[in-house]
Amino acid sequence: MSASEDIVFTCPHCGETMTVNPAMRDALFSNGCVVCGAAVDGDAFAPAEQSCT
Amino acid sequence: MALDQQTELSRAETDAVLARNETGVLSLARGDEPYAIPISYGYDAESRTVFLRLVSTPDSEKRAFLSSSPAVRLVVSEESPPEYRSVVAQGTLTEISTDEMTVERIEQFGDAKRPLFEIWGADKPDLRIQLYECDATTISGRCIELDHAAYA
Repeated sequence: MSASEDIVFTCPHCGETMTVNPAMRDALFSNGCVVCGAAVDGDAFAPAEQSCT
Repeated sequence: MALDQQTELSRAETDAVLARNETGVLSLARGDEPYAIPISYGYDAESRTVFLRLVSTPDSEKRAFLSSSPAVRLVVSEESPPEYRSVVAQGTLTEISTDEMTVERIEQFGDAKRPLFEIWGADKPDLRIQLYECDATTISGRCIELDHAAYA
């Protein structure tokens, strides 16, 4: 997974958080939260913070 | 009830039964103590993997059994008169962490849907949802044709 493509997913229903790539984000949109099964929308995704080196 | 015939299901037929159903009974064991629960699941016929989303509370029997032996059996049955079919899958449960998530797993767990039989009586913070895969080492199935006319 390229760091620049990292997206943080936070489920608004169960609170589960995980870092995903764009393909996984699309799969979560289609299938719902992988942990609790609830439907998710765009608010559940945010760009991962980049660390400065 | 008279039995007309009982036949063994082929691999394709057992896969079809597991794929078109979404609920079954999962049996676990701890020592000589048995434990069985109704669950919902998803099934990938190509890899013969069952995907399970199991919910438990801190002091529940379920959590205790889930943390014991990983050997399990899943029983799925269906009835479409005059036939009754049942499939038994035997395998090992492996817990999947979100760090191991892939597109394929998200899709497969999506098929497992929300647990239909789970009664989430506890407060949400007490609930723990665990994701499991069960690689079925043995799957067998039977079809029984019932002679309903015998009861007419």
